[in-house]
Amino acid sequence: MRNKITKSASDDIILNLKVLAEEKESVRRKLAVTAEKLAATAKKLAITAKEKESVRRKLAITAKEKESVRRKLVITASKLAATAEKLAATAKEKESVRRKLAVTAAKLAVTAQKLALTAEKLALTAAKLAETAEEKEIVRRKLVVTAAKLAATAEEKEIVRRKLVITAAKLAETAEEKEGVRRKLVITAKEKETVRRKLAVTAEKLKASHATLENKVIERTKSLEMSRVKEEAILLSIGDGLIVTDENGIITIINRTAEILLEEKSKEVVGKNFFLVSSLVDEKGLSIPVEQHPISMALKTLTVTAAMTGSTYFHIRKNSTRFPIAITATPVILHGKVIGTIKVFRDITYEREIDKAKTEFVSLASHQLRTPLSAVNWYSEMLLAGDVGELNVKQKKYLDEVYRSNQRMVELVNALLDVASLELGTFVIEPKSTDICKLALSVISEQKPQITSKKMKFSFLCAKNVSLMRTDPKLLRMVMQNILSNAVKYTPNGGKINFNLSLKDKKTISIQVSDNGYGIPKNQQDQIFTKLFRADNVRDKDTDGTGLGLYIVKSIIQNSGGRIWFSSPPKEKNKGTNFYVELPLDGRKSTQFISK
Amino acid sequence: MALYGLESMKTILIIEDEKSLRNAVVDLLHAKSFLVIEAKNGREGMELALSKHPDLILLDLIMPEMDGMSVLKKIREDKWGVTVPVIILTNLSATIEQSVDNTLANSLTHYLIKSDWKLHDIVKKIEGIFKI
Repeated sequence: MRNKITKSASDDIILNLKVLAEEKESVRRKLAVTAEKLAATAKKLAITAKEKESVRRKLAITAKEKESVRRKLVITASKLAATAEKLAATAKEKESVRRKLAVTAAKLAVTAQKLALTAEKLALTAAKLAETAEEKEIVRRKLVVTAAKLAATAEEKEIVRRKLVITAAKLAETAEEKEGVRRKLVITAKEKETVRRKLAVTAEKLKASHATLENKVIERTKSLEMSRVKEEAILLSIGDGLIVTDENGIITIINRTAEILLEEKSKEVVGKNFFLVSSLVDEKGLSIPVEQHPISMALKTLTVTAAMTGSTYFHIRKNSTRFPIAITATPVILHGKVIGTIKVFRDITYEREIDKAKTEFVSLASHQLRTPLSAVNWYSEMLLAGDVGELNVKQKKYLDEVYRSNQRMVELVNALLDVASLELGTFVIEPKSTDICKLALSVISEQKPQITSKKMKFSFLCAKNVSLMRTDPKLLRMVMQNILSNAVKYTPNGGKINFNLSLKDKKTISIQVSDNGYGIPKNQQDQIFTKLFRADNVRDKDTDGTGLGLYIVKSIIQNSGGRIWFSSPPKEKNKGTNFYVELPLDGRKSTQFISK
Repeated sequence: MALYGLESMKTILIIEDEKSLRNAVVDLLHAKSFLVIEAKNGREGMELALSKHPDLILLDLIMPEMDGMSVLKKIREDKWGVTVPVIILTNLSATIEQSVDNTLANSLTHYLIKSDWKLHDIVKKIEGIFKI
C-alpha cells in the first residue's frame, strides 16, 4: 500500500515536473516575445528622440528668429520714442506760439476796445462839430440877411446924406461931424444887434432847461405820491383797529378795521376829536374820563400806554352796544416833538370768553370733586372715631393714611377753587371789623400740631396797636395761613419761626414771617409766585405742596393794593427765608378781582 | 351725653341728594340719639319740612327738582319756618357763602363746607345750636 502510494506519488511528481517544464517553456516564449516587443519599443523611442532633436533644432532656429524680431522691435520702439519726443517738442513750441498769439489777441482786443471808444468819442465830437457847424451856418445866414438889410438902410441914408449935402450948404461944415456921428451910430446899432442875438440864444437855452426841470419835478411828484398812497394803503389795511391823531387829539387817520369795530365812517370822524369815537367804560359801566384814556395818557406821559385784559375797558358804540377792548396808544415823536398818537386796538370778546370758560370748568370740576372727598372724609372719620366699633392698631394706622391723603386732596381742591375764583373775578373784598391778632392766633392754632411735632421754636408778636380793624378776614386769613404754613412746611425739625404783626401806618398792616429753613434757590426766586411752580429744593423733601399758595397770596395782595416781597436767605444769614407783606386794611372797597 | 325722653328728642331733617353723604350723617345722628327725617331732593325736603316741622334742617344746595336756596326761601316764607335753624351743608365755593350771607343774613342760618368739616364737628355744631 505504501509503495503503491509512493509510486503514484512519484508519478505525480513527474507529472508535475513535466507541467513545470511546459510552464517554463511558455514563460520563456513569452519572455522572448516581450524582448522583441521591447526591442521594437527601443527602436521607436530612438526614432522619437531623433524627431524631438529635429524639433528642438527647429525651435532653436525659431527662437533666434524671434530674438532678431525682438531686437528689430526694440529698435523700432526707440525710433518711435524719438519721434514722440520730437512731437512733444513741437507741441511745446506750438503751445508757446499759441500763448503768444493769445496775448497778442488780448492786446488786440484791448486796442480794439480803445479804438472803439476813440471812435465813439470821435463820432460824438463829429456830431458836436456838425451841430456847431449847423449853428454857425444859421448864424452866418442871419448875418448875411442882416448885412443886406443894413446895406439897404445904408443906401437910403446915403441918399439922404447926398440930399442934405445938396440942400444944406450951410450945414456942410457940420455935415462931416454928423457923418462921424452917423457912423458911430451904425457901429452901435451893429453892437446892439449882436447883443440882441446873444440874448435870444440865452433865452432859448433858459427855456430848454426850464422845461427839463419842470419834467423832473412832475416825475418826482408822481413817485412821491405813489409811495404815500402805498403807505396809506398799508395803514388802512392793518388787521387791528387803528386811529391816528395829531398832537391835539384830532383824528387824522382811521383804518377799515377801526371803522368796522366802532361802526363809524372815516369821512365822518376824521378831523374830529378822538374822544367822540372812543367812549370807554369799565367793567361796571362807569365811563372812563377823557384824561384817563390811553391816547390822553400817551400824549401826557409820552410813553406807550396800554389798556389790556387786566383792567378791562369796554368800548361803547353810538347805538349803545359794547365790546371789551384791548388798546395800545403810542405817542408819535418827530425831532423830539410830539406830533400825534397812534392808537391800536382790538375786540377781545373771544379771549375773555375762553378765559371765563376755562375758569368755570375748574370751578365746576373742583365742586364735583369735593362730594366724593366728603364721603371718604366722613366715613373714615367715623371709623377712626370708633363709631361702629373699635379698630385694631394696624387698621387704625392704615385708615389714618387714607384719611390724611384725603385731607391733602381736599386742600388741593380748595386751592384750585380759590385760584379759579380769583381768576374768575368773583372774589369780592368785604371789609368787616376784625380782631387781627385773634385771627392770627386761629391761623397759628391750625399749624400748632405740625409746629409741635417738628419740635420748632415758634414766636408770635402782635403789636399793641393792632387790634380791631376793618379788613376782609377771609382774605387776610388766606394770606397769613399760606405764608405761615409754608414756613412750617419748609423748615426742618427743630427750626425757628417768627411771626410778627404790626401797623406800618394807620391803614396798612405789616406781616412778617421769618424762618431758618430750606430757603428759596436764588435762580428760582423770580418764579416763586408763579402758578403751580414749586422750587426744586423742596420738591424732594415735601410732597404736600400744591404750587398754588403763593400764587393765591400774590393775587389777593395785588388786588387789594398791597405788597409782598421776600429775602432768602435774609441779610446776614446763610439760610432761611423772610416774607414781608403790607396790606391796606380796607382793601379796595368792593373792588372786584380781575384776572392777570 | 344725657338721656332724653321721646318728647325731648330733637328731630332733624336732612335734605341731601348724595346718598353716601346722607347715610353718613343719618348714621351718626342716630348714634347721637336724634330723630332723623331724610329727603333726597329739594322738593321732597321742602314738603317734609313744612309738614313735619323738624327742629333743625341740614340743607344741601345743589340738588335736583329744587335747589337748596329755593327751599330755604320757601321755608323762611312759612310762618313756622321763619325761626327754624338751618345749616347749609354744601361744597359750593365761598363765593356762594357771600350771597347766602347777603340775601338771608340770619343768625338761624349757618353755612358749612362739607369737605372742610368733620362730621363730629357738624354734630357739635348742631348740639351747640340746641344748647345741649
